[in-house]
Amino acid sequence: MRTHWTRHRLSHLGLVALAWLTFAVGAGPAGAAGTFRIAVGVDLDTVDPAQMTTTTVANMVDYVIETLTAMSPDGKIQPWLAESWTLSPDGLTYTFKLRKGVVFHDGTPFDAKAVKWNFDRLKDPQVRVPIRAPFPIKEAEVVDASTVKVTLTRPSSPFVSALSWTTSAMVSPAAADKQGNEYKNIVHAVGTGPYVFKERKKGESFTVTLNDKYWGKKPTYDTVVFRIVPEAATRESLLLAGQVDLIVLPPIADVPALQRNSAVKLLLAPSDRTIFISMNTTKQFLGDVRVRQALNYAVDKKAIIQNVLFGAADEMDAPMAPSLFGYCKVGSYEYNPAKAKQLLTEAGVKPGTKISFHHPTGRYVQDKEASQAVAGYLREVGIEPELQTMDWPSYVSIINAGPAEKSVHQLAYLGWAPAFLDAAQQVLQYWSGYHPPAGLATTFYKNPKVDEWVVAADRESNQDKRKELYCEISKQVWADAPWLFLYVQRFPIVYSAKVTDVGSLPNEKFSAIYARPAN
Amino acid sequence: MSLFRQYLAQRLLASAVTLLGVSIIVFLMVRLLPGDPAQVLAGLLATEEDVARLRADLGLNKPLHIQYGVFLERLLHGNLGRSARTSQPVLEELKPRLRATLTLAVVSAVLASLAGVAAGALAATRPYSRFDYVLSLATLFGVSMPTYWLGLMLIIVFAVHLNWLPAAGSEGAASLILPALTLAAFSVALIARMTRASMLEVLGQEYVRTARAKGVGETLVVARHALRNALVPILTVAGLQFGTLLGGAVLTESVFGWPGMGLLLIESIFSRDYAMVQGIVLVFSTLFILTNLAVDLLYVAIDPRIRYT
Repeated sequence: MRTHWTRHRLSHLGLVALAWLTFAVGAGPAGAAGTFRIAVGVDLDTVDPAQMTTTTVANMVDYVIETLTAMSPDGKIQPWLAESWTLSPDGLTYTFKLRKGVVFHDGTPFDAKAVKWNFDRLKDPQVRVPIRAPFPIKEAEVVDASTVKVTLTRPSSPFVSALSWTTSAMVSPAAADKQGNEYKNIVHAVGTGPYVFKERKKGESFTVTLNDKYWGKKPTYDTVVFRIVPEAATRESLLLAGQVDLIVLPPIADVPALQRNSAVKLLLAPSDRTIFISMNTTKQFLGDVRVRQALNYAVDKKAIIQNVLFGAADEMDAPMAPSLFGYCKVGSYEYNPAKAKQLLTEAGVKPGTKISFHHPTGRYVQDKEASQAVAGYLREVGIEPELQTMDWPSYVSIINAGPAEKSVHQLAYLGWAPAFLDAAQQVLQYWSGYHPPAGLATTFYKNPKVDEWVVAADRESNQDKRKELYCEISKQVWADAPWLFLYVQRFPIVYSAKVTDVGSLPNEKFSAIYARPAN
Repeated sequence: MSLFRQYLAQRLLASAVTLLGVSIIVFLMVRLLPGDPAQVLAGLLATEEDVARLRADLGLNKPLHIQYGVFLERLLHGNLGRSARTSQPVLEELKPRLRATLTLAVVSAVLASLAGVAAGALAATRPYSRFDYVLSLATLFGVSMPTYWLGLMLIIVFAVHLNWLPAAGSEGAASLILPALTLAAFSVALIARMTRASMLEVLGQEYVRTARAKGVGETLVVARHALRNALVPILTVAGLQFGTLLGGAVLTESVFGWPGMGLLLIESIFSRDYAMVQGIVLVFSTLFILTNLAVDLLYVAIDPRIRYT
């Protein structure tokens, strides 16, 4: 009797399990019509523009909130929520004419009052703004409903470019105390963007829906779902299984296979992230420019790009990425081990000299592998690098130690990507005012001429002159070689061949708001 | 019953002391790690002033014992502080994550216990049979296979090639299947091996022979006489395994993008989010302690020879 009951119960369970499986299969893949699905590797730490630090998070939040200026795919700054602007002769006051007829998702009009509120919040020390430096706002005034006057604490030419970065995006002042929002911490962003914040499941997804009242061109998809998938191989599987339409950063070793796969399209988007080895000019023989040049000649950058990064980078030909305002091509340290050896001998560096070499693991594309390759090339010219790696926060604490006497690193593998495409943020790396602990110019490189040009360029309001100054800086820095210049990283984006109109911005953002089905 | 109450009170008190110890250790350990949370949070482009302001904002410029005092006082009020990374209360962040991790761990534990005990018991009744060899090979595979690799293989087969199941996420019951199988694999194998060994020992005992001699059917002999007596060591392993499942969820969650506590713990360590790390470790420790307590109580239910002392 008892056995019978158990058997009966078991078969019942089996049926349930079967039904569940069947249901599961039906409900699993295949997105609803009108939904565009994107898989990214990092979860949103915040949706509050003022607190933004991570590009991919900004990329998602950009669907909902917008900035006064915007970056176009070629990296140029264009008017967006501001239609035009003028600068006072002293370079301190900008007057912005705002786009009319724009409303926030909650119906609040986007006007001068709203802009003033957002700028007041951006400069308020009570609000946590990790990247505040590019926004030296002293005061914002309402001139009329669609005119705002912004006074800066110091002249800053890159200010208009900085306004394209998500930190300065506009949220509805009226929504700042609703839906869980606090003035100091926005958790439900209400903006003017083409999509409206719908739902956020932490660690899992972020969903936005179409804004019917959007002022600009309307996107195709009703809903966009961002899925948080930290593992690169899993993101790739999701795409190959047709369970998402676009992913960023597939496993880099799969780049060649993805290029051959006709079901997907691979975009190796140009980025502004320069990857280099910082040489601490205050340590050992690294103070000698001949040694620093020798190390630049010693490494075959092309081979590393080809074999370690699978083509996902371009060799540097200036101390900044070509997409930056202020870039000019300066030259190349071609692979020449004989010349490297000769320079090292001239500088009196004996074969077998040890040097410490720190690198992160998993922070930049193939950072560990590339560091090992670089170390191999250095060994060939008689330098004995001692490789050390650690997790990112530990790594930053080592390379950021300052002043110079307290620093311990000698060679350090690092990436540097300005948030907006202007040389101003790049040349901080070559400015002595940015030596640790004040900043992250980890080479402690100091050239009085370069120092002078960096400050002059930041204040210069004539863009042509500013460009000339950055070109001068580039030439000098290239010759002084405080970095072992490696490459400008590319940002791989892969999407289904069933969709089209997917692009990228040159600062590691995908541009898929206007994606649509192919055919 | 009063003995039971006394026992329970003692155990709970000991648990509270353990948790206090855990709180001190985790508090100190996260702070001993190199790396400045404010610097990491602010990012490379932030200025020194921005970082200093952030440090003050997070209360990290106060002496250690004051920071611990603040932490403990909040803890007694059931407040785990705010996450540095997300500015949200840690408890709010943890709730959905805990639910996700527990769902995965419990389903895997049930799966592992049922399959492990069944397979192990079956093998023990047919020692050195073909089934026994196959099982022993399979369990060897199970205990030695890296979770990460197994997870990816399952994804490639069931999501990419067959397209039966979602490759990642936690939408719907179907998404639970692959992570639960991945997570359970090690435990199934271990429990099966344990059950087989324990059962083989019991099946050789005289009371089993007696039971058979008096004409009890083989099924009943195995299920009632042997399995129940073999259960104590199995339960110990299964109980410990539950703790491992919670911890092992870290890798599985990361492969499958399962929004649980393991994933959050990794992110929090890498961003030096002290409050969040402390909160997660405390929750994990509490669960571990409660599981051990539950196992100890179950011993008594299973084996009347064990008494509270």
